[in-house]
Amino acid sequence: MISPPVVSRLQQIVGKDNMLYEREDLLVLGYDSTPGIHLPPDVVVYPTTTEAVVALLQVARENGLPVTPRGSGTGLSGGSVAARGGMVMCLNRMKRILEIDEENLTATVEPGVVTLDLFNAADEKGLFYPPDPGSQKISTLGGNVMEDAGGLRGLKYGVTRDYVMALQCVLSDGDLLRTGGKNVKDVAGYAFKDLLVGSEGTLGIITEITVKLIPPPQAKRTFLAYFNDMRSAGAAVSRIIAAKIIPATMEIMDRATINCVEDYVKIGLPRQMAGLLLIEVDGHPAMVAEDAESVRRILEAVKAAEIHVARDADEAASLAAARRTALSALARVSPTTLLEDATVPRSRLAETFGEIERLTEKYRLTVGTFGHAGDGNLHPTVLCDERDADEMSRAHAFYDELYAQVLAWGGTVSGEHGIGMAKKGYLARQIGAGGVAVMQRIKNAFDPAGRLNPGKIFADATEQDDSHEE
Amino acid sequence: MKSDARIGNFTPRDAPHYDDALQCMRCGFCLPTCPTFALTGRERSSPRGRVALARAVAEEQLEFTAAVRDEAFFCLDCRACTTACPSGVRAGEIMEICRSQAQSFHPLGHPGKTFREFVLQKMLPSPDLLETSMLPARLYQRLGIQWLVRRSKVLKLGADWIDKAAGMLPELAPPLRKQLPTIIPARGQQRGRVGFFLGCVMTLMYPHVSRQTVRVLSHQGFDVITPREIKCCGAPHLSEGDRETARQLALKNLELLMAADVEAIVTDCAGCGSALKEYEELLEGLVPTETLAAFRSKVRDVAEFLAEVGLRTENLIPVNTSVTYHEPCHLCHAQGVSRQPRILLSQIPGVELREMNESSWCCGSAATWGLKFSKASQQVLDRKLGNVAATGAELLVTANPGCQLQLAWGVREAGLPQQVVHLMELLGQATPQ
Repeated sequence: MISPPVVSRLQQIVGKDNMLYEREDLLVLGYDSTPGIHLPPDVVVYPTTTEAVVALLQVARENGLPVTPRGSGTGLSGGSVAARGGMVMCLNRMKRILEIDEENLTATVEPGVVTLDLFNAADEKGLFYPPDPGSQKISTLGGNVMEDAGGLRGLKYGVTRDYVMALQCVLSDGDLLRTGGKNVKDVAGYAFKDLLVGSEGTLGIITEITVKLIPPPQAKRTFLAYFNDMRSAGAAVSRIIAAKIIPATMEIMDRATINCVEDYVKIGLPRQMAGLLLIEVDGHPAMVAEDAESVRRILEAVKAAEIHVARDADEAASLAAARRTALSALARVSPTTLLEDATVPRSRLAETFGEIERLTEKYRLTVGTFGHAGDGNLHPTVLCDERDADEMSRAHAFYDELYAQVLAWGGTVSGEHGIGMAKKGYLARQIGAGGVAVMQRIKNAFDPAGRLNPGKIFADATEQDDSHEE
Repeated sequence: MKSDARIGNFTPRDAPHYDDALQCMRCGFCLPTCPTFALTGRERSSPRGRVALARAVAEEQLEFTAAVRDEAFFCLDCRACTTACPSGVRAGEIMEICRSQAQSFHPLGHPGKTFREFVLQKMLPSPDLLETSMLPARLYQRLGIQWLVRRSKVLKLGADWIDKAAGMLPELAPPLRKQLPTIIPARGQQRGRVGFFLGCVMTLMYPHVSRQTVRVLSHQGFDVITPREIKCCGAPHLSEGDRETARQLALKNLELLMAADVEAIVTDCAGCGSALKEYEELLEGLVPTETLAAFRSKVRDVAEFLAEVGLRTENLIPVNTSVTYHEPCHLCHAQGVSRQPRILLSQIPGVELREMNESSWCCGSAATWGLKFSKASQQVLDRKLGNVAATGAELLVTANPGCQLQLAWGVREAGLPQQVVHLMELLGQATPQ
């Protein structure tokens, strides 16, 4: 609970229309897209300026209020849910594109700008902002930076981190930190910018972001390859990478995913196929033609059942859009959709599919797998019912065993969704107790009182289980 | 899908299915498509937030509070979120059902209740009464008071909605229902027999449109059967949360239309079409499943029907004009009919279609929403009109009377040059006498 005087101070800072305090509002701002997590905050504020963010953090400091930054709440690890109550700070109303600098090829935006809006604004100037998470139509740049969001083009173009050039951030005591700039090279001291990207709102609140833009590819070719089993799809990916071809996109979907997506998009995806790869090569026209031909030869060598080339840009766009719906479409099947973010070195891809199949049988679950195959970033998704305790415990056992194998292969427990509340238990398993201790020292240096997004990333010794069943 | 009968804090009668709320995985794909979320930026006014509220009531984390009621009624029920949702959640329908809970938890005061009951339970179910009730309005227009009132702004004394409603009234002609022959024979090579569902707003406000609809159908080779005893489709009742009256009307219409020996039940009102198509859910358990499925399989919007059977174009007269097309929510989102009107437009010789941006974004009419929330409605309408103006088209074509009322009023108030017409008016113009 927050005392009335504090409430009125917050209201003085942001104005009546930018604060929510009613129970119904708090209830619907207590979740993101992560299943099983629902923790309503005590108050929600929508600052519209950096000064307001500074003032809000000062009030939080004086009153010991936890502060959780939030954008559109599309995250998949509970990152924007107030794990310890207090204040949720929604940055959606700071949504101006401040500048597109055509001389330095940068864009400077406020954190509430929607990813696709930035893409479109750059596109209008003949420039390209590549990171494209599945939720790009609504996700915000602030959220993308905080979780280091990936996307469908990650294989060739990298992830959000690779485009962030400068950040303005408010620290937990209200101090302003600017890091980076429009310089391509910059080694003046520690790279705070790189520390802040992917910090999940635990080190500071971002209020301004400068990203790099690049010239768009001149040509593009998109095709779909269908497979009779997932292992050969995995093998195709490994062989394309080994042939030193880097497509812009190499996405995979298994049969369950294909069927759910087709139920929604109705574009004639073949329901009987075990798996498909969506491959996009882009770049200089001559290179695109050459790469497309090489990819086709590899696909034929690994016995792809069928290869379909997109007729035009519209069809290519509709295929990518179809793939973006995969996770939400899988949610058609069951009340609860447990999604994971297992990532392995790409040479291990076929084995990973084998492991997922083995564990699916072992734990008697329904699993749909899709993901960014070219990045080795897979989303095995358990389709279950949170009301069935036995099924839920089998699902957790499935992930436990899968992650043990993923880590043994040198993979990671989170490719692009972050640790948040959902995967705290796995962090030490991946980076070791020593690694966690160094991270905590960094956290303490930035936020000694632990006010910024508490209850994330680090498992508390007293915490048995942080996932709150709804 | 199995049905979890978890009622929680809802009243058992007409409670949303808990499973339907559970289906939402909160991915947020619906957020950019929701006009009310675009207006307020408030999660509880978004599809995801509304479904979460319904879920919280079912899970007893929340009573059916005034805020839940308000969000249920502030929802346009435009179904854009249904189109956008890969998981198959139907937030609009969940809210529609929540509206019927409102009467139990937040009953209206006496005058409001009496008026509501009279309109929904007496006037709308009785076509005669409905037509009589429009007499004063016709008289008012006929006597030229309209002109006087408009000039003197007398109506500004009333609430906003009275003013807007008066401004929206088109030139009223006598209702069509009693004039339309119950059977209109096919012209030329006969292709089949269809039942025509004449909607209340169509007969009262757009009789000239439905006249064209049946004429086009007959020219296209169909016998057109229009049963006189047809009742209101029930859409206004669903929209106001009176599901009980809606069910009674649906039962009567279903019986009547199933008895007519027709291959298809065609309507030119998107609101009616979507209500008819949803009888299946509304009458679940009251009518055998196969009867409901058989009925559902016959209902067609007229554009959907004509595109499906194929338009005979050989005798069409050119209409040399440029048009832009506004998609009624209850056509594109509720019925998934989006391609078909464009196919027909492309088949009318001389017509140049100029696509507007956001053609499937709501116009802000949404049954009585536009009158209840006139300020918000104006904002939604302005966004639409901006997109219309940018096309520079001569005509603004739509396919639903609610949209037509709102858009015609909107272009008039904004001083835009576009004429607003129903698709069937345009097709009627291209059809020889």
